[in-house]
Amino acid sequence: MTGRENMSPMRPYWSPYLAGVALGLTLLATYLLMGFGLGASGAFAQVAARLEGAVAPGRAHANPYLVGYLDAGRLWAQWIVVEMVGVIVGAVLGAWTAGRFAWRLEKGPRIGAGRRLLFAFIGGATVGFASRVAQGCTSGVALSGGAVLAPGAWAFLATFMAGGFVTAWIVRRAWR
Amino acid sequence: MSWPLDLEGVGGLAIGLLAGVAFGFILERGGLGDPKKLTGLFYLEDFTMLKVMFAAIAVAAAGIGALSLLGVLDLSRIAVQPTYLWPQAVGGLILGVGFALGGY
Repeated sequence: MTGRENMSPMRPYWSPYLAGVALGLTLLATYLLMGFGLGASGAFAQVAARLEGAVAPGRAHANPYLVGYLDAGRLWAQWIVVEMVGVIVGAVLGAWTAGRFAWRLEKGPRIGAGRRLLFAFIGGATVGFASRVAQGCTSGVALSGGAVLAPGAWAFLATFMAGGFVTAWIVRRAWR
Repeated sequence: MSWPLDLEGVGGLAIGLLAGVAFGFILERGGLGDPKKLTGLFYLEDFTMLKVMFAAIAVAAAGIGALSLLGVLDLSRIAVQPTYLWPQAVGGLILGVGFALGGY
């Protein structure tokens, strides 16, 4: 059930190559103006560190990794946090103007909504953990690092594919 | 003018907001707001993610390389992600597991 049948016609997706060129130009502009690239998971780490700082200040300030975030200054002065807010705004704008903005759960036909959401939660926590291990995610390490030919970015991409292919085969029912 | 500009303060944050809006808009219009398309690669059914990602990397890398050769961009002032091979290899593997599970 997607509910799509009842909606106004959606604009088709762009050609992936067109989207890729547009994204590449955005990334290039970011490097030119800022000296660094795009990211995503860092914004979640910024928020998570401050949440722990608010709930358990003693524990958070005793953690050298979290202190780096807590000493970085106000949350809204962090570039990646502002960028991530922009990502959400841009994605909503893109979906809205394409007639795709709707309340629905994308999933395979053979999995229930509860299990799909449970998988999403476990997957999200796993991605969050992994992004701290790798110092970034598919945006900060793979995309931005790939564009400046950082060796670690290509190692990340290779093992990312390996982990994805093996896991996808096991959880096939969630998606196909 | 010497590139990168290394914008700071409010100007830098404004660029962050604009870059984010463009990032989100392009990903959505490219189909990468859909977890079924995102996971499609791992079932060899939908290669959108690969096409978008590698086209973007190629364009940005070519642009950075060309502007550096032309003497416009100072490569030494571009942030390159430091390589920690094992953490990034292991992190990538775990992230792939989470990605296939959760659909992002």
